[in-house]
Amino acid sequence: MVTVSIEKVWKIYGRIPAVKDLNIECANGSFLSILGPSGCGKSSTMRMIAGLEHISAGEIRFDGRRINDLAPKDRDVAMVFENYALYPHKSVYENMANPLKLRGQAEVRIRERVLAAAKLLEIAELLDRRPQELSGGQKQRVAIGRAIVREPKLFLFDEPIAHLDAKLRAHMRGEIRHLQRTLGTTVIYVTHDQLEAMSMADRIAVMHEGVLQQLATPREVYNKPVNAWVAGFVGEPAMNFLDCTLEETGGQVRFVHPTFRIAVTPEQARLLEASNRAQGIRLGVRPDALTISLAKSKEESMTGRIFVNELLGGDMIVDVDLGPERVRVKTSTDFAGNEGDVCYITANRDKWHAFSKETGRTIF
Amino acid sequence: MNSIAADRAKPGAGLFRVRQILDNVEAKPVSTALTWPATLNPAASKRYYFWLVAPAVALLAFISIYPFFWMIYMGLHDVEIGSVVWNDFANFTRLPSDSRYVGGWLLLFQYSAMCLALQIGIGVFLAVALNGLRHEKILVTMLLMPMMIAPLVAGMVWYFLYNGTFGWYHWLLQSVGILGPKSILGSPDTAMLAIVIIDVWQWTPLITLITLAGLKRVPQDQLEANMVDGASPFVNFISVTLPNLYPVLLIAIMLRFMDNFRFIDSALVLTGGGPGNATKILPIYLFEVSFKFFKLGRGAAIALTLLVVTIILGMILAKVFDRLHPKRT
Repeated sequence: MVTVSIEKVWKIYGRIPAVKDLNIECANGSFLSILGPSGCGKSSTMRMIAGLEHISAGEIRFDGRRINDLAPKDRDVAMVFENYALYPHKSVYENMANPLKLRGQAEVRIRERVLAAAKLLEIAELLDRRPQELSGGQKQRVAIGRAIVREPKLFLFDEPIAHLDAKLRAHMRGEIRHLQRTLGTTVIYVTHDQLEAMSMADRIAVMHEGVLQQLATPREVYNKPVNAWVAGFVGEPAMNFLDCTLEETGGQVRFVHPTFRIAVTPEQARLLEASNRAQGIRLGVRPDALTISLAKSKEESMTGRIFVNELLGGDMIVDVDLGPERVRVKTSTDFAGNEGDVCYITANRDKWHAFSKETGRTIF
Repeated sequence: MNSIAADRAKPGAGLFRVRQILDNVEAKPVSTALTWPATLNPAASKRYYFWLVAPAVALLAFISIYPFFWMIYMGLHDVEIGSVVWNDFANFTRLPSDSRYVGGWLLLFQYSAMCLALQIGIGVFLAVALNGLRHEKILVTMLLMPMMIAPLVAGMVWYFLYNGTFGWYHWLLQSVGILGPKSILGSPDTAMLAIVIIDVWQWTPLITLITLAGLKRVPQDQLEANMVDGASPFVNFISVTLPNLYPVLLIAIMLRFMDNFRFIDSALVLTGGGPGNATKILPIYLFEVSFKFFKLGRGAAIALTLLVVTIILGMILAKVFDRLHPKRT
């Protein structure tokens, strides 16, 4: 168990910065997820923590102790790799025993630890097999087993379940979360899958182009994104963005778009007033904050034409053309609209967001 | 106009109409009692490919399979010019009591073992040293040069270097007091080492090349995982790199041992088996029996035993290879 502090850390390859001035504090025993698209610097960050990559500038500290110059083996961290990184010439037991063996532990104690870990991960019957005889999910369990036998201070997960099929992935998410709760060890978990980050982490660090965008709880990242990029990256299906202008008539502020004019709440009007809105506003609204109907409602609504319906089993996603733009609306499967039909969309005004069009910064 | 056609009139509506029809199809359970199809489609004919391959097979049969059987035939007879006489396996039964035959085997094993040990050791060391260097490609190309030289020419070059009157190595070793008054090739103690060194000089680059290719395939994440697990660089090499190299090393060993069992060019040029019988490895003895004494029958018998042993050893190595090579799933 350890508190990890990343302070003003840079990673520069040649002349290309991959991580820029990163500051993250990961509390003792918490689950931190580093989330971002490929090339955002999240893996470089993890490799710097593990000691596999030189820290170009700045400092990483474990419980206040600088670890920049420690070799990976002296950092007391365990890492689970994307491609499992099991040793093909060793049995499952030997794979899991490896970290303890390298640290010169007694054979009896090694046996005890490996069997305990195997039982926890439900792979006790696989101990004599070789990695190539295992399925992807089993390999991942062995890789996790190899990490937990040593009881390290810190777990590092580098996209550990990215190669599993969707069903198994959903299952492993729960298992890893449960494991972390059981062991109480600090975890740093790198992923590009926002669903993994949302469902497992205590806190999420969202990175983009080497820069930390937001460090907050999953709820906060989802409900109060700091900018349009985070808002668009987190959430599935993704948030809809509509470029609007503002109009003030009779004390009411409205978003104006070729297909609609909708008033904002007085609180939102005040925030818009305070911001620099000369360049226009980008309205962001998630598919589940929109309601679609074939009948025009009394509320102010957007008028569009249905492009296509996508049935997702429990609910339905409707793609709607709003003039030149297209939005996605989540609705129930009872919705009876057909392609090409005119429809009306109303928005939940408590759940929509406005971003500055030029900086992308959140206004509300 | 039916309803589908009517829907098509609306832009983009056709697709959706199809989906609606599919939605309306009632889900029926799949029949479990399947009946075998009445007729099966004929498999593609292989006759065409047979004719494509036939000429090459015929040529190969003529130049390798025919001589092979001819060798067995000769091995069972006394072969003189103009006469072939059946001799009741005498060519084979006399082999165990032929001291130069038995000695030839011992020398051959000694020679191959020394060559292999030195080549693998030096070859792997060079590969590890070269791997990832900035000028790796140029250095590897330079290193490969000995391999490009014909073994006979290499033998000649080394013959001059070893020469007792003007040989450079001879002079050097004698100047520093390592070598006695005898020449390198003239002394039974050093002659074997001398021909081993030529083989090592010429063929270590091959081992280096194969090992370098193997090193490129060692999974980086396994090395890193081991490092995080607590391994030092040396332990990492022993426990991750080396096991990943076993398959390529076995291929290298197989290639080199089979070559050692049949290459005699440089040894023949340098020592011709001498001094005395100190370097008379089996292939040189075989060469002498067949082409100096023209006992073609006996030579064929020796050749056959050499072939059989080579095949058996090759098969054992292949078995080991199968065991070590991780099967990919």
